[in-house]
Amino acid sequence: MLVLSLLVPVLSFFVVFNTIPTLWLLGLSFYNYSLTSGMPPQFIGFRNFIQIFNNRNSIWGDLSRTFMFVGLGVSIQTILGALLGFLFWGSKNMPGRRVALTMLFVPMVLTPVAAGTFFRFIYDPDFGVLNFILHGLFGARPIALMVDPATAFWAVLAVDCWMWTPFMALMTLAALGAVPKAQLEAAEVDRVPWYGRLRLVIWHHGKFILMLGVLLRTIDSFKTLDLIIPMTKGGPGQQTRLVAVELAEQAFESFNMGWSSAYSVLLLLISIAMTSVFIFILHLRRRRHA
Amino acid sequence: MTRAKLRDYGYYAVLWLVSLFFAAPVAWIVLASFKTRSDILAMPPKLIFSPTLSNYVDLFRRNQLVLQIFNSIVLTLCSVIIAVVVSFLAAFCFSRFKPRGTNFLMFLLLSIRMLPGPAVVLPVYLMYAAFGWKDSHIWLILFYAMFSIPFSVWILKGFIDGVSVRYDETGLVNGGSWLHVIFKVVLPQVKPGLIAAFIFNLIFVWNEFIFNFIIGGVKTQNIPYALAVGTYSEGGMDWAFISSITTIYIIPPVVFIYVFQKYLLVGMTFGTVRGEV
Repeated sequence: MLVLSLLVPVLSFFVVFNTIPTLWLLGLSFYNYSLTSGMPPQFIGFRNFIQIFNNRNSIWGDLSRTFMFVGLGVSIQTILGALLGFLFWGSKNMPGRRVALTMLFVPMVLTPVAAGTFFRFIYDPDFGVLNFILHGLFGARPIALMVDPATAFWAVLAVDCWMWTPFMALMTLAALGAVPKAQLEAAEVDRVPWYGRLRLVIWHHGKFILMLGVLLRTIDSFKTLDLIIPMTKGGPGQQTRLVAVELAEQAFESFNMGWSSAYSVLLLLISIAMTSVFIFILHLRRRRHA
Repeated sequence: MTRAKLRDYGYYAVLWLVSLFFAAPVAWIVLASFKTRSDILAMPPKLIFSPTLSNYVDLFRRNQLVLQIFNSIVLTLCSVIIAVVVSFLAAFCFSRFKPRGTNFLMFLLLSIRMLPGPAVVLPVYLMYAAFGWKDSHIWLILFYAMFSIPFSVWILKGFIDGVSVRYDETGLVNGGSWLHVIFKVVLPQVKPGLIAAFIFNLIFVWNEFIFNFIIGGVKTQNIPYALAVGTYSEGGMDWAFISSITTIYIIPPVVFIYVFQKYLLVGMTFGTVRGEV
């Protein structure tokens, strides 16, 4: 009885806002249903899925752009973040450490909408400060970074890295915090060189936390949408059209509900796969601790 | 001055420079909010200028701003309070009684957070449109609460797992009811978890845009909505408006991460990683 009454609130939330909508989504993915046409939904079997895979603007393009964005972004953030983490490792006694860390962590608590908007200001070819700095340093001609198809993707990626490198630095600090001091000191006494200490001691104790960080970042980066809407809206052309952007546009600008449902079902499968990997790694870590 | 001390100062200087680099874009926008319209667009960019508050005066003259700030605060507080209460009960249940399907439910909860926003909101949008629930504070709050629950359950379960069952047993043996155990024995011990869940959901809902845009509407618009929608005026981007509203909006998150810095790690990782930075 007690068990049930504790669970009822969460289950009712879950059923009303998640289970029923998800079942609805599954059902709709087999229908041709557009809100703009005013026609009732029409059953078309797997045709939505076939369309998603075979059309000119098929899911493959979106997916490859997304994976490129995720792969590049997460690797850059992990490498830079790890370096920053090591850099901040010995700073326990720094005066004003808390203020400095707050400044470092500000980018990750910003709403991506705000970050995207004000980076347009910084990137602007006419009065943006970035072009001014580039011009001053290298004499570069002003570039419309968000409009030029050659640079738009990289400009968005750069903002993503600016926002999330601090997160990987945070995870690296946590990973380093998990390394027992005694073992490090023992390694130092034994004159183990720095790369030996890194590989044998630090990696051994820190790898799970770092891996969780990489996974969380991969999953979040896969969802990137808010950042792109104010910056490029998926343009120019298709350059920055990631899966979430494509879905948002098809669902809430073209109102192709059947097609979008099918697309969502595919994304749901991908995120279930990623969640499973996450949980798997989490269990590995638990088992090791136990 | 000794050599070691000098090296320390050099090291700290590098750390400060790195922190400054990450804060610089935000600082640039905050500076812009105190410039006149012509100073904002000045080329070369002006670092030294005579500050003015006229952008803020203009901002508060827009009749929607008060509504947007009010909405942001109400939506955030209500949904997070609901989510934390509901999640605490569920987390206690998952941690102590481990009903069948606990792992599966925890998995499902997490997978909501792993799905891209539009995919989550698409069926909810259809449901809300069908029942006429769009643009209503209550239904938006409930949806935000639903979206904050997974995160809170994960954080709180971790913390409740860390409270020994001995405490429960002692409470029960001494004649306390389960309610007594839950609220008087366990609750005070997981305060850090509650704070972490609270802060991180606050920041999440405060920052949330896409759900507000799609299942909310004119009545429920929040500050990110204002940023995404109200940025044009007289044919161009209205930078005076953008910079001043951004400045106001980033104050709460920045204050939170300053005050609650030790909860940052727990919060950013769904409670899967503990510790302090």
